[in-house]
Amino acid sequence: MTCALLLDMFFTAADLARLRRCLTDTARLAGLAEPRRSEFVLAVHEVTGNAVQHGGGRGRARLWYADGALRCRVTDDGPGLTDAAVPAALPAPDFGEDGRGLWLAQELSDRLHIAGGAGGAIVTMEFDLAVTRRDTPGWASAAAPGEPARR
Amino acid sequence: MQPDAHTLAVEQMRLGDHAFAHYADDDVRWQVPAVFAQRGLGRGEKVIIMGDPAVSHDEAYQRMAAFGGPAEQARARGQLVFSSMRALIHPDRTFTARRQLSRLREETAQARWEGYAGLRTFIDMAWVRDLDMDVDAVMRREKTVGGLFASRRYAEICSYDRRDFAPGVAEDMRVSHPVALLERPGELQAWHSAGEVHLIGDGDLLTRPRFRDAVQAALAAGAGGWVLVNLSRVCFMSAGCAGDLLRLIAQADGYDKVVVRCAGLHARTLRHLGAARIGRLVLDELPEEE
Repeated sequence: MTCALLLDMFFTAADLARLRRCLTDTARLAGLAEPRRSEFVLAVHEVTGNAVQHGGGRGRARLWYADGALRCRVTDDGPGLTDAAVPAALPAPDFGEDGRGLWLAQELSDRLHIAGGAGGAIVTMEFDLAVTRRDTPGWASAAAPGEPARR
Repeated sequence: MQPDAHTLAVEQMRLGDHAFAHYADDDVRWQVPAVFAQRGLGRGEKVIIMGDPAVSHDEAYQRMAAFGGPAEQARARGQLVFSSMRALIHPDRTFTARRQLSRLREETAQARWEGYAGLRTFIDMAWVRDLDMDVDAVMRREKTVGGLFASRRYAEICSYDRRDFAPGVAEDMRVSHPVALLERPGELQAWHSAGEVHLIGDGDLLTRPRFRDAVQAALAAGAGGWVLVNLSRVCFMSAGCAGDLLRLIAQADGYDKVVVRCAGLHARTLRHLGAARIGRLVLDELPEEE
């Protein structure tokens, strides 16, 4: 099993925009192409936003390259979360202000798993990479001269 | 500074854009160049940062890396370069627009020769004080550089410290640039015109109230018929903002039609969240951009 940590970041509400940019770059370098890359960032944002809103105001996001997929785990110190937090059906557009974020994250992810109890929530999402890279992608490298953004 | 038709988030800058940026805070000042550089490196472009001459290149790099992430490899291979206006026009000691434009054309050609897609340059206008320039000459330069961008191989940000430039001068500079950037990445601004609301920047947890209020205001201001919600300059839209938008449109009984103009990702998000169930909603989806 190949597994490499690509990103490890603690966050509060003020860090969410920066976290999205880091996720975008890391996912690009890992080989996740558009439009899945933007969907990945949106899904992770919904889970991190949930941690900020309901999980004690802060959390930790870690991203791995794992066997042909990007795996993102978001943890927080809140009251915990169960599968029941994800609505079985999408709320009607004209009803209610919340409840769509985790539903959308589940829709967009190839796999989403919720665990954790009193010690806080643990939400893990996976996005399959279309092409598995032989080498482990590194966070700090940027596109080489003349190379397009998509790698 | 009020947003208008040429306001844009730095994330949406492309080669060919000539942008005005502004700040009045020593932390905020590094955020726009950090994202500008990060995006350029990711797109295979060369990036030259001409920061405040009073700040060392290493400190500038560290301040940018703290916000945009490290880029040691890009710096080591010369894709990310820290320089100054003084160095750019060397051996000339006095700034002239002709000399500067000539050197920027050379640098663009050099970047292309090195294999990059183009060149993007960030210029902190602190150089005006450093080279003892008068503001009128700078204004003339800003208004006559259009040709530099025509090939769409070059992009530039001119960043003004509002503590150093009088409000009227900063506003004149803002208006004279084809693009005016939001002050900081991640913020959201709204601009209203007759029957339209234009949202610019990121719609997320922090900016959701502003997003919702702007759409609400546009719907309240209209007299029925139709209204345009233009999201073409929105870089990011959370499920919360998308849900608010759909809810407000679903409840906008006075309107026959609400047109939402947006990129493909936002259109897909809205469809995921039930856009098709709202009869008066028309999605005007823009072509995808990498």
